[in-house]
Amino acid sequence: MNSARKPAALSEPEVTQTTVLLALVSLLAATSLNVHHLALWCLPLALLGSAWRAWMSRRGRARRAASKTLRITVTLVLIALVVLNLRSLSGLASGASLLVAMITAKLFEIRRRRDWYFICGATLFLLLAACLDAQQLWRLPLYAINFWLIAATLHGLGAGNEPLSAARLMRSAGRKLLLAVPLALLLFLIFPRLPGAFWSLPQTEQATTGLSDEMTPGGISDLSESDATALRVRFEGSPPPPQLRYWRGPVLHDFDGYTWRRGVGVNLPAPALTYRGQGIHYEVTLEPNKYRTLVALERVRPPQVQFAVMSSDYQLFRPHPENSAISYTLESFTDAYSAEALSPLARRIDTALPPKRNPRSLALAQRLRATASDDRAYIDAVLNLFRTGGFSYTLTPPLLDLDSVDSFLFDTHQGFCGHYASAFVMLMRAAGIPSRVVTGYQGGDWNSIGHYLTVRQSHAHAWGEVWLDGQGWVRVDPTGVVAPQRLTRDLYELLGFGAQGAAARLRSAPWIGHLVQSWEAMNAWWQDDVIGFNFIKQSSFLSSLGLHPEDWRSVALMLGAGSALWFAWLAWTLRAHWSVRPRDPLARSWLLLGRKLGRLGLARAPHEGPIAWGERIAGKRPDLAPQMRPLVRRYAALRYGPDADPLEVKAFGRAVQALRLARV
Amino acid sequence: MALRSSIRERIARWARKRQGSDALPLILASRRIYILPTRAGIGFGVLALVMLLAGLNYANSLALLLTFLLVATMLVGMHDCHATLRSLRVLEVRTGECFAGAPAALQLQLENDAPVARLALQLACGEDEAPAFALAPASQLAVHCHFTPTRRGRERLPRVQLSTSAPLGLFRAWTWIYLESEVVVYPQPEGKRPLPHSAALRIGLDQSGSSGEEEWAGLRPYQPADGLRRVAWKLVARGGPFLVSHYQGASGPSRQLDFDALADLDTEARLSQLSAWVLECDQSGAPYGLRLPGLEIPLGGGAAQRRATLQALALFGIAPA
Repeated sequence: MNSARKPAALSEPEVTQTTVLLALVSLLAATSLNVHHLALWCLPLALLGSAWRAWMSRRGRARRAASKTLRITVTLVLIALVVLNLRSLSGLASGASLLVAMITAKLFEIRRRRDWYFICGATLFLLLAACLDAQQLWRLPLYAINFWLIAATLHGLGAGNEPLSAARLMRSAGRKLLLAVPLALLLFLIFPRLPGAFWSLPQTEQATTGLSDEMTPGGISDLSESDATALRVRFEGSPPPPQLRYWRGPVLHDFDGYTWRRGVGVNLPAPALTYRGQGIHYEVTLEPNKYRTLVALERVRPPQVQFAVMSSDYQLFRPHPENSAISYTLESFTDAYSAEALSPLARRIDTALPPKRNPRSLALAQRLRATASDDRAYIDAVLNLFRTGGFSYTLTPPLLDLDSVDSFLFDTHQGFCGHYASAFVMLMRAAGIPSRVVTGYQGGDWNSIGHYLTVRQSHAHAWGEVWLDGQGWVRVDPTGVVAPQRLTRDLYELLGFGAQGAAARLRSAPWIGHLVQSWEAMNAWWQDDVIGFNFIKQSSFLSSLGLHPEDWRSVALMLGAGSALWFAWLAWTLRAHWSVRPRDPLARSWLLLGRKLGRLGLARAPHEGPIAWGERIAGKRPDLAPQMRPLVRRYAALRYGPDADPLEVKAFGRAVQALRLARV
Repeated sequence: MALRSSIRERIARWARKRQGSDALPLILASRRIYILPTRAGIGFGVLALVMLLAGLNYANSLALLLTFLLVATMLVGMHDCHATLRSLRVLEVRTGECFAGAPAALQLQLENDAPVARLALQLACGEDEAPAFALAPASQLAVHCHFTPTRRGRERLPRVQLSTSAPLGLFRAWTWIYLESEVVVYPQPEGKRPLPHSAALRIGLDQSGSSGEEEWAGLRPYQPADGLRRVAWKLVARGGPFLVSHYQGASGPSRQLDFDALADLDTEARLSQLSAWVLECDQSGAPYGLRLPGLEIPLGGGAAQRRATLQALALFGIAPA
């Protein structure tokens, strides 16, 4: 800070009020774009600091610091705020909050022009923090405008003493941004990405999907999952029919009579599967979730690549939890079986029931099992019970007591997928059939514009799986028995209530549906091909250009050639922008002649006529006289003589263009 | 600091050798415009590097896009900075009166024939750096900078640096202008001796009061011939126009200024004293003459007399060019 004590040089231009306002507006914009993860005090603080600085600047003190007392007070308050908040915020958020605090402190002690450059740079960094944190498509125009404001601020700082209007600064900065975009895109596509990270971001606690590792149907009286996208799937070829779209998530084994949980993981070998029929190849883009689960279409073949591991209950896991959406390609089969026997340990886990809970259901199971000939018949008997026992499907079921299955089966008769899956699996276990609850999603909306399937949080579903010797694990979905439409149509569309129901109905209206689909397709493109343009996608893109991504020389060559092309285009554009282009062809040729001689230091003085100029040149460079004398005469004749012949004018132009002048 | 200025000198000498000297009117060509990032530019370069590392590390496409856009914008700014000087015209260079050891004004007549304004231009001769100015589209402007000649006699005009940091302030482009023309530097007006009494004065010594007494008569616009001491600097510092104090001398008796009358001083000190006397006489408005060994300028007054006498003093003992 010692150097800041030095008085500003006299020749240092003042910072204009417009520039100050642009700087403050871009700072506030960048803070607002971060506001969702910043500490609460950040935006009010930045507003306060900006207001103070704007007021100072109005009084003509754009480069004046605050009084010592004010500065010390501000610094102490900021330090206190940062220290108080540091623990409760994640790495990026606390970094951004700290940055806002620093910028605000700086606003109170601006002394020189370069302090404004500091503010500008820090604002840019704040914008970077927003980009790192949130990448939705709707934010893109906001980020672009913020960057534009920052560029306009720099423009104002660079314009010296000239008081340019904000509109002019914005226009001029906008022109520069347009010129910059091609190179930015080129670098974006070709500049080599990294396959991994040098250091990793601390994890944030933000679960965004409806996936959970436990399920308590009796404790939920209003299931209102959001309309948000959970995953998007692109198929090679046609998608499977709606009733086969089971997206498998966490599998729940452990039941205490009220809540289903994943249970203690036991590392057993998964019963080997034999796949039948045609495999379905597809790519899933999964929004971030708290768990490491990778959602996949049933039954998935274990992937060849090492990005995921498969557990004994056919769940896919990735090695680390991640904050960002990921994509992966898989192959699944709608039909698969296992001829192996179930291991005794697995059988014990998946037939366990809490003792002395749900006694009425246990009795019911015994009764039904006694009348059924085999396991198959028993399953049918239970499903028949759901079909004919007066059960109904609802998203707002009554709460259940602790013996939740008893309460559901004998008293309330109302519930959603979780209730049916829970009761079904419990009844299976009561009859000694190994079974478990599988959660995930069912269905999906086909986007006919983007040709992909959107699976939303509202598609969340739960079903049962039973072990049948000779077939392996078989999916049984009791909800499909109670509400068969649930499997082919959107949940809210089916029930048609609430905000989500309205949204679903809107989606089914033809033209709004088209708009919504277009917007979603654009979002999908943005997520997959822009935000998701990673090392792997870049490699395949470079390969498609005929380059070898591993061969850094060819990539460097491409980068160099592309940049050179851009530079040439830029130079040409700027030259056209800066040079005079008279409409009159004769004047154009005359200017060209002036430029050619200007390079030799023989430019025409403003007071000189053509003949006088020619004579001066002939005097200084006698060797040029035979070339120059006729040329200037011709010009004088064409310019000042009677009606010039257009052909003559053209010939003069050609002569000027062909003129080659020797340097001395 | 010494190292930096010596490097700067070296580069300037190299540029001088490369460019040769310039003739007017001068059109700034690309090859004579040099460009380097400013401090802010280096800062933003480092910022872009940090942003690049962050974007690569977190494999964040949006952050990388922002970084590349910043880099490309800076490069566009660099080109535009260069273009701000390119094809700018220097039509004319004029100097005012130059006295050794005192700052003298150098005036450049610049022309911008482009349809675009040229912003944040700065003119510098030697150490002095004038405030930034702008050239409107298709316009001419006369700008000044000041240099301080050290010795009397003929001197080459100093190297003039024309620079700009427009449009973003992240790069600074400059060009050096080396002009062939020479300027005659008058001896530093120095010496406290009273004016010699003329024959006419000796008789009526008491009647006219002390010589050189003058009255302030107001302010008038600056002309290149005006001495810098008379400029109303307080007004200029407040952003006012360039005005000089104007004095009405009480017309006094004529005087003959004689080199030989100052036999006790060395040559340079004599010339300095004579120079001071010339200025004093000129201000008082009385006619005066100058006698140098081998040269006599008869009695006279006004700007022509002032120029003739000062020039004679400046070139005393110096071979004609």
